[in-house]
Amino acid sequence: MANVQPAVISAGFCEHASKRSDVNMAELVNEAVEDCLNKAGSVEWKDIDYVINGNMPAFEGANMPELWMTDHMAAKNKPLLRVTTGGTTGGSVFVSGYYAVASGLYDMVLAVAFEQQSCGNTTVGLASVALGELSIYPSLGYEATRLRRNMGAGAAIGVASYQAMNYMRRSKATEEDLARVVVQNRRNAAKNWWTHLKMPTITIEDVLDTPYISYPLRFGMVCPASDGACAVLFTTEEKAKQIADVPVYINGVGSYANEPAIIGVDCGGAGQTDPCEQLGAVKSAELAYSQAGISFPNKEIDYAEVYSPFPNQELQWVERVGLFEPNSAPEAYLNGVTALNGEMPVNCSGGVNSTNAIGASAMERPAESALQIMGKAGNQVPKTVHTALGHGWGGAINLISHVVMADEPQRKFK
Amino acid sequence: MPLPEYIKKDYKRTRTMKGSWYLTSYKYKFNLSRIKEYLKGLKNGILLGLKCRSCNTVSFPPRLICGRCLVKPDQWVRLPETASIATGSANYDEEDKKREHPFPVIAVRQDGADTALIHNISDDVDFNSIYIGMPLKVVWAKERNGLYLDIDHYEPIEDPAIELNKKEGSVD
Repeated sequence: MANVQPAVISAGFCEHASKRSDVNMAELVNEAVEDCLNKAGSVEWKDIDYVINGNMPAFEGANMPELWMTDHMAAKNKPLLRVTTGGTTGGSVFVSGYYAVASGLYDMVLAVAFEQQSCGNTTVGLASVALGELSIYPSLGYEATRLRRNMGAGAAIGVASYQAMNYMRRSKATEEDLARVVVQNRRNAAKNWWTHLKMPTITIEDVLDTPYISYPLRFGMVCPASDGACAVLFTTEEKAKQIADVPVYINGVGSYANEPAIIGVDCGGAGQTDPCEQLGAVKSAELAYSQAGISFPNKEIDYAEVYSPFPNQELQWVERVGLFEPNSAPEAYLNGVTALNGEMPVNCSGGVNSTNAIGASAMERPAESALQIMGKAGNQVPKTVHTALGHGWGGAINLISHVVMADEPQRKFK
Repeated sequence: MPLPEYIKKDYKRTRTMKGSWYLTSYKYKFNLSRIKEYLKGLKNGILLGLKCRSCNTVSFPPRLICGRCLVKPDQWVRLPETASIATGSANYDEEDKKREHPFPVIAVRQDGADTALIHNISDDVDFNSIYIGMPLKVVWAKERNGLYLDIDHYEPIEDPAIELNKKEGSVD
């Protein structure tokens, strides 16, 4: 669609952990930027035209971190944009990088997404998101304990457990199916250098042994809270051919928002009566595929990274974005289709289930997909990857970003 | 090319300082004009949904704007007291650990409405026995004050689908 064909030439990560006490937020970002520029060959920090930065607002209590870390991400004397859209922040930062190059205004764009959750209080951060909508309830006759019980089950994990309930009813998936997804992710993460939860010997029984957090999700199935950052370098088709060995072209981008969470807007009813339906994901996938000229995503896509903090979401997303038939994902996971050497490898980086630095997570998905195409990923799949997708999810369970990338520029029908 | 050397860290640990942030000091504003009629209905034991004339979507509790048509819905419709479970979860809270079984939290879809509402089910219902599509009935509060919790909770009623399925020998 774009006049200029945007391409990714490099993606960098910092090491993720639950507490990176050796660095502060700016230095964390610097590590990812440095890794990104190291992989980018002849590109120097002076060559960068435009910098985009994003993280989850209010989670660390630093409201303008982009000003703090200007020097650390080589943004001095350069135009700078900050993008935050909740859990999808990384996806939106990636999409903004695409737009900046596609517009023809900038040649070399650096996009940075990060989160240092050990600095902040995630509960306060989430409360700051929900308080606006919930603060009215006590004056309408909701007593405090009941509000906490009812709406407390509606925070991130609660929303996911609603999704899990509906998904398990639709597809007849069992808890064992959910645990199998976790095992695959955590074992993959053990082979990738930058991930957080590395568990090479975990089994399904280990996962099912842990207590429930929110039915049907158990403690062992839930994503960790990580510190981490991710940086991606965008450029035009011409420059990418000169710089990179294998330039990765961004051929389709879709970003849709659905009706907000199950809590409802302005104490009205919530329009999403089935939280696992996720029309936003279906729509954004359709848009991205149509831009990229992909008619049969289940055959044409070689590798997928989907945003799945909770295992039921991984099963749900791969179906919604068209990689598997509805309700067939649990069987595919059982048969090893999605494993590292399977026909359709999914989340070989370990996924969000193993590493969740919230603001960075949605950007790590397309970044990792791009590295798989380049052949530089930490846990590289054995087969050659030509087309890959990166998917992000967040906001009030409603905001989706979807990116389709390939080693060839998009077919133009002009 | 790497960034200049001076940025490289020369220490093992950062110094950490504490700070705090008072969320309750903020003010939030709400437009509740549309809810008055609904609350008046609750006081009289009547369930009112707000219907969009353009797409016939009924919201319960009422919503200010219909997102599909971008119009202000203004047609009040009376809804029956029956409902069904749209989705559910269980709360494993600190205080709830004293209970025999976890505290169920459900999203209810009132019959005749198109939206869901988070609510509670009777205390004696075991969480494992609830399922999506389970029919429910409103249990009114003893004293109705025209507030949200005038519907105290929902109680399960007999599901005709179960009997029907048994007769036909269906597995589901």
